[in-house]
Amino acid sequence: MEKNFILAGFGGQGILLAGTILANAFMLDDKNVTWYPCYGAEMRGGTVNCEIVVSDNEVSSVHKQDTDYALVLNQQSFDKFVQRVKSGGTIIANSTLVAESHPRNDIKYVFAPMGEMANELGTSKVTNVVSLGVLASVCDIVNKASLALGIEKVLGEKKKDLLPLNIKALNMYD
Amino acid sequence: MKNNEKVLIKGNYAIAQAAINAGCQCYFGYPMTPQTEIGEYLSSKMPELGRGFVCAESELAAINMVIGAVSTGVKAMTTSSSCAVALMQEALSYACGDEVPVVLVNVMRAGPGLGYIYPAQGDYNQSVYGGGNGDYKIIVLAPSTVQECVNYTYRAFYLAQKYRNPVILLADGLLGQMMEPASFGENPYPEVDVSSWALTGAKGREGRAIYSCAPDEKKQIQHIYNLFRKFEVIAENETSYDEFEVEDADIILTAFGSMTRNIKAAMKVLREKGIKAGCFRPITLSPFPSKRINELAKQGKDFVVVEMNMGQMLKDVEYSVKGQSKVSLINRPCGEWLSVEEIVSSVEKMVEVSYAAGI
Amino acid sequence: MQQVFSIPNSMKKDFKYTFCPGCDHGIAVRLVAELIDEMGLKEKTICSTSIGCSVFLYDFLDVDCIEAPHGRACASATGVKRANPDKFVFTYQGDGDFASIGLAESMHTALRGEKVAAICINNTTYGMTGGQMGPTTIMGQITTTSPAGRNVDYNGYPIKIAEHIALCDGTAFSARVALDTVPHINEAKKALKKAFQVQLDGLGFGFVEILSSCPTNWHMSPEDAHKRVREEMMPVFPLGVFKDITAEVK
Repeated sequence: MEKNFILAGFGGQGILLAGTILANAFMLDDKNVTWYPCYGAEMRGGTVNCEIVVSDNEVSSVHKQDTDYALVLNQQSFDKFVQRVKSGGTIIANSTLVAESHPRNDIKYVFAPMGEMANELGTSKVTNVVSLGVLASVCDIVNKASLALGIEKVLGEKKKDLLPLNIKALNMYD
Repeated sequence: MKNNEKVLIKGNYAIAQAAINAGCQCYFGYPMTPQTEIGEYLSSKMPELGRGFVCAESELAAINMVIGAVSTGVKAMTTSSSCAVALMQEALSYACGDEVPVVLVNVMRAGPGLGYIYPAQGDYNQSVYGGGNGDYKIIVLAPSTVQECVNYTYRAFYLAQKYRNPVILLADGLLGQMMEPASFGENPYPEVDVSSWALTGAKGREGRAIYSCAPDEKKQIQHIYNLFRKFEVIAENETSYDEFEVEDADIILTAFGSMTRNIKAAMKVLREKGIKAGCFRPITLSPFPSKRINELAKQGKDFVVVEMNMGQMLKDVEYSVKGQSKVSLINRPCGEWLSVEEIVSSVEKMVEVSYAAGI
Repeated sequence: MQQVFSIPNSMKKDFKYTFCPGCDHGIAVRLVAELIDEMGLKEKTICSTSIGCSVFLYDFLDVDCIEAPHGRACASATGVKRANPDKFVFTYQGDGDFASIGLAESMHTALRGEKVAAICINNTTYGMTGGQMGPTTIMGQITTTSPAGRNVDYNGYPIKIAEHIALCDGTAFSARVALDTVPHINEAKKALKKAFQVQLDGLGFGFVEILSSCPTNWHMSPEDAHKRVREEMMPVFPLGVFKDITAEVK
């Protein structure tokens, strides 16, 4: 088994962090995993993305031409990455910022108002974690309990007080 | 981070932490994408540990600070990327001539010139053959995973002191920026006794000088011969490589650094398609595992070199094969890594062409 | 019988100077060796040497030396000092090494307040390569690369090193001295001692620029060369202490 995920959004939506949590969750599940960002000038404003590859074996290429799953938080990312989803793959979009559309008929679509769900918790800052909850609901290999541990790891001791809010965000979508 | 627990960590941070664990006492560096995180990480860690850290005014200064520090027997390093490593070539030549254990990490980006920050592998020649003057050789280690970034950083500090020779850890932007689980364990290498040459002050002995040139021609000639005898010993003891399924292979994919990952995956796909492919991956680019490549070539196995440059390691593979079998190149100068699919389809085309030509 | 002269303990017993007859380098090196002896520094000294006429310093001084590439002596000295804060570290460089090719390293070492000392020999020319125009070549001076004399349109102006170094906040001591007369030599030794002492006291960068003759490349007798130091160099490069934070403290 080898699956890959592209996570994309605006700079500031915490997409790289969401990717880090996801990669940590896979590591805690004893899977081989890599996290690879778009980096450099691309990081200054505009869209940002990272790619996670999870595998039972050694991860080969960390940056692939197509993807099994795309998790997109804004319209630009939807438009860009809907074309890179493998036939039979899934795109998961934040319908708060992405207009529902189905430009291809060979992939699955999941739309969820992640931004609004985050706002219900009082801050749009947790949109990224809400989106991971959505991903876990539609993707068998993503384990919510491991994501929770991943969040704990990424927050660390310094930001431990943010854990309850983030766990709530993770469980917003069912 | 000194236990066997796995942590998800970026290649750059892994190198930095491994340097700390290896006993690196001083870091000197200048920002340069895509390796700047190494200096950022160490800027807080080194002072906490009471070790040296200087934001140097240039890469030129940084590597010369390393020369100063390591000449006193301590471990020290600098890190940079391609076009700034070009600035360090003079000092690398000196460090070789001086026989001081400089450790340099190059997280490669594209070139020539500024080259932007696309990942690339265009510094094979710069590392292995060097841009400095005179006859000298550097030990070059090329990791392919974040775990290997840790392991080879440990090894780099050890080899540098063991042979009193500069060592380059040649990573690339992809490895520097990616995260992968890695464990640090303990530095597995013993401490090297440096007391016979390190500058510690002329206490109870004559003053010592570390220098690369002798005003006496005979001495200078002897110095170069001694250096090259040392390089022979290094080649004998330290040449290392990985090989996979080469025994029955007709065609062997060869790559260095993080491209190794892609050729291993491509090999599996090719085997599923009935093409007997193997993989050969040099770990030490210098000394280069020529002997083993030649053995495999003599068995009639063809080589396909896959690299993110215009064909640099290709020359060393061709030299090693010595016309015993066919050597081909699959490459791109920089940017998106050649995908497994691209490698597979290129190899398939090569095989078809060979078949059609009856070879 | 009273001994009135001896080779300093910190000099090699069998050394042979590679300096030209009449050159002031020999006096400067001797002053450094005398001070290392008098201040009891030999066992803790590490010198960062340079490229130029001073290149074989390690053949004269009996202290530990690391050879730095051209211009990089202050960077190497920084590395030595950061790795060994308890050692006494100094550079000995020419003006081309310190103030031309190595100006960035020299300035930044001063700006960082690196606790090392630097000695720079200013002889207004690149000596070892045979007398070309350098960063300190004075206006009108004829060299092999300024055959009509240094002129502004082609060559710009010489650098006043000690004054520039004095402007750096990390500098604890900066002075310019000369070796043309016995009183000046005594003054030079005092300045060098101060530059060494500020390092030992952990106060910052210590710097001494030494005006020096180069009879060979100036095509002068040693006596005339010293006359030139006085009459042509000193008006451009005045002697004096440009910064001494120990005096300010008082």
